[in-house]
Amino acid sequence: MEQSAILQMQGVNKTFDKVVALSNVDFELKSNEILGLLGGNGAGKTTLMNALFGLYKMDSGKIILKGQPVTITSPRDALSKGIGMVHQHFLQINNYTVLENIVLGSKVSHPFSANYKTEEVVIQKLCKQFGLDIDLSSRIETLPMGTRQKVEILKALYRGVDILILDEPTTNLIPQEVDALFQTLKIMVKEGLSIVFITHKLREVLTICDRISVLREGKNVVSLSRKDASDDMLVRAMVGEGMDLNKSVIFSEDKSRSGKTDQKPTLKLNGVNKISAEKTQELTDVTFTVNAGEIFGVAGVAGNGQRELAEVVMGIQPVSSGTVHLEEQDITVVDTKNRIANGFVYIPEDRLSDGFLNKVSVAHNLILGYHHLEPYSKKGIINWKNVKSSSMKMISEYSIKTTGPDEVGGNLSGGNIQRVMIARAFSQPSKLMIAHNPTRGLDIPSMDFVYKKMFESSATGMASLVISEDLDELLLICDRIAVMYRGKIVGILPREKFEKYEIGRLMSGYEQSSEETGKRA
Amino acid sequence: MTQIKKIFPYFIAVVAAFIAAGIFIAALKFNPFKAYETILTTSFRTPNGFIQTLVKWVPLTLVSLAFTVPLSSGKFNIGAEGQMLVGAIGAAAVGITCANLPAVLLVPMIILAGILAGAFWGLISAWLLYQFNINEILTTVLLNFISFALIDYVATGPWRDPAAGHPTTIAIGENGFLPMLVNQPPLTIGVILAAIAAILVYFYTDKTTSGYELVVTGANPRASKVHGINIRQMFLFSMIIGAGLAGLAGAIEVSGTQHRLIEGLHSNFPTLGLIIGLIARGKNQAVPFVAFFIAVLEVGASAMQRTLLIPVQVVLIMEALILIFILLSDLIRRRQK
Repeated sequence: MEQSAILQMQGVNKTFDKVVALSNVDFELKSNEILGLLGGNGAGKTTLMNALFGLYKMDSGKIILKGQPVTITSPRDALSKGIGMVHQHFLQINNYTVLENIVLGSKVSHPFSANYKTEEVVIQKLCKQFGLDIDLSSRIETLPMGTRQKVEILKALYRGVDILILDEPTTNLIPQEVDALFQTLKIMVKEGLSIVFITHKLREVLTICDRISVLREGKNVVSLSRKDASDDMLVRAMVGEGMDLNKSVIFSEDKSRSGKTDQKPTLKLNGVNKISAEKTQELTDVTFTVNAGEIFGVAGVAGNGQRELAEVVMGIQPVSSGTVHLEEQDITVVDTKNRIANGFVYIPEDRLSDGFLNKVSVAHNLILGYHHLEPYSKKGIINWKNVKSSSMKMISEYSIKTTGPDEVGGNLSGGNIQRVMIARAFSQPSKLMIAHNPTRGLDIPSMDFVYKKMFESSATGMASLVISEDLDELLLICDRIAVMYRGKIVGILPREKFEKYEIGRLMSGYEQSSEETGKRA
Repeated sequence: MTQIKKIFPYFIAVVAAFIAAGIFIAALKFNPFKAYETILTTSFRTPNGFIQTLVKWVPLTLVSLAFTVPLSSGKFNIGAEGQMLVGAIGAAAVGITCANLPAVLLVPMIILAGILAGAFWGLISAWLLYQFNINEILTTVLLNFISFALIDYVATGPWRDPAAGHPTTIAIGENGFLPMLVNQPPLTIGVILAAIAAILVYFYTDKTTSGYELVVTGANPRASKVHGINIRQMFLFSMIIGAGLAGLAGAIEVSGTQHRLIEGLHSNFPTLGLIIGLIARGKNQAVPFVAFFIAVLEVGASAMQRTLLIPVQVVLIMEALILIFILLSDLIRRRQK
């Protein structure tokens, strides 16, 4: 049965300041389907949908909605035409209730009071219809990510959309929540909605989508129905011809890591507590060891103390109690500069605030933290000739798109800024790498490159502490995974015991008490 | 090509400022073309004009650097005025009390005293920032007021020159006068000292690791801290260097130009220093050149007042307009992106 197209976009072009984001892209969504919009970072998926939702103005291109050509100038406009979008970052007011968040900005029956009785009834009905189990009176800040996402979906449904765009909806969800989301999507399609599901995860589109469109570097690559799709061809469509899949980490058949850790501890945290200036307990009794050559992952929903952990290990923030050891040597009070000198390397999570210098050159950026070492400098004098030549090497090895070492950092795109940070981190021989979301914003070949680099370094004995919100990434590269929940390590699993749902359970803090007793026993 | 592209907006801004100020001069019923001819050629027509320009260039360069060096680390030193005055007090104090020492000793001592006194004045703000995180803009401005009282006290106190009608001290020892580079018209080695200072600043910020740390701290203090740079130390350090440069300006005024401490010897240099620093967009290496340009305008302005009776303030208006147009060109460029 061939369904009719509810929405079409034709010949869409969009450039940002000389960078071509979309070039002559066509897009078609049929009614009552889940369309997977697949592609790596920077492929243009989100840009295309933002253009549809009225957030960006297209340079050229047409939108045909239910057979009629339309122009969409703003999100409000899009909503009124029945198009809703759930972004990666939710736009919610934390100390409002679910109900208040949903009705906010819409027409209400009693505009001068906080009486939302009528609206509540409508929303309750929607909840039942779509199987969304939410307590409308709870405040947003008390809810887990999966529920907050349901609120966002409900917001769109309440505004009567029949086309819903979901931008990387599984990013912050634990595996159990992902399953629940997929259930909801199926119900929604049954109830007459059409859904665009933006993702870079192959497995997700193969699980849930009816049809799949692949974008790469702002161009259409292929559109096909799921039953015609295979892993191999989608992978090839996403990464292009240039990448050797047999040698890749992400797509190789052999998922086992050699894991030749020699049990020589590089980093040891013992009973580390961290209490912030506002007296909140950020880390509680964190104890673990990372051995030489080991890749040790830290999983957890964002904001459960991962950042604090990274900064305590780097010496950026002091511990409140407990000890940090580097190869049996107590370094609890050693400052960041000396930790770097002792072989610590850091890829911070927030690259713009913690890792990158917008106002100075790419070369300045590439030597940050190592500027006092040879060959960059000698006796306090910087050798710019060496800096430039090393920078050129890094720029070509890490395929950083820039006009050269002298270009101002601020001109670089997000993915290229990440490449600068990766290049800098691997430019020095090191004992311990602390990498927080190291592949955020990178396309697939670049991600693969980073993993390969990590494996190379770990083969020479470098210990890695990889903190990531992307559980698939951790499952792929780590020897052991620790799970953080509310500043505590609630479990550490070796590679042979990696199990997605078990880790998901730990991440959400379920049965945390029994887990603790189990550990103690 | 790219260099020309970079300088082009500045050129446009300067031309636009001249046009705008020209309209203003015409409105005052003067001939703008004659005015501009005087302003732009005085410095280059006679040796006297050129030397006058260099004499102005010395303090202008130094007080501008006093602003831009701390700015490199992201801190605003608005206190060059006070630091210059306290530097002058330090220089005068040594010059008067040690008046009989030979010149080989006395001149370096006076210069050093000026630098140290200025640096000390900056250290107060820097230390408050380092220790208690007190905003440096506030403390440097407030310390200016204290320095006015201080110079009043010194110039009307024990070293007062009873013959003078204005708060002034007696002259420093003749051995403490800066040696002459050119005798007639007079030009001291102050110009060499300022040039050396500018070159040292350039070398420091561009070629040394410590200077690198200063620059990256200014670019992103948080990222610098994360990568092991002691940013509070860099704040402290840059403030002290800046203040020392202002102190040097004060010392050169005392031992090179006035030969005594006079209330108001800072003239309008510190204000112009801010303007120069901003026109140079905080770039230390651009400061000497912008300072020279402003010195040309200043010297030309007094000539214009003498010969054409056009008020000297017109030039101040023009300088402000140049700054405004340069800031505007920034805005336009950002919009175009």
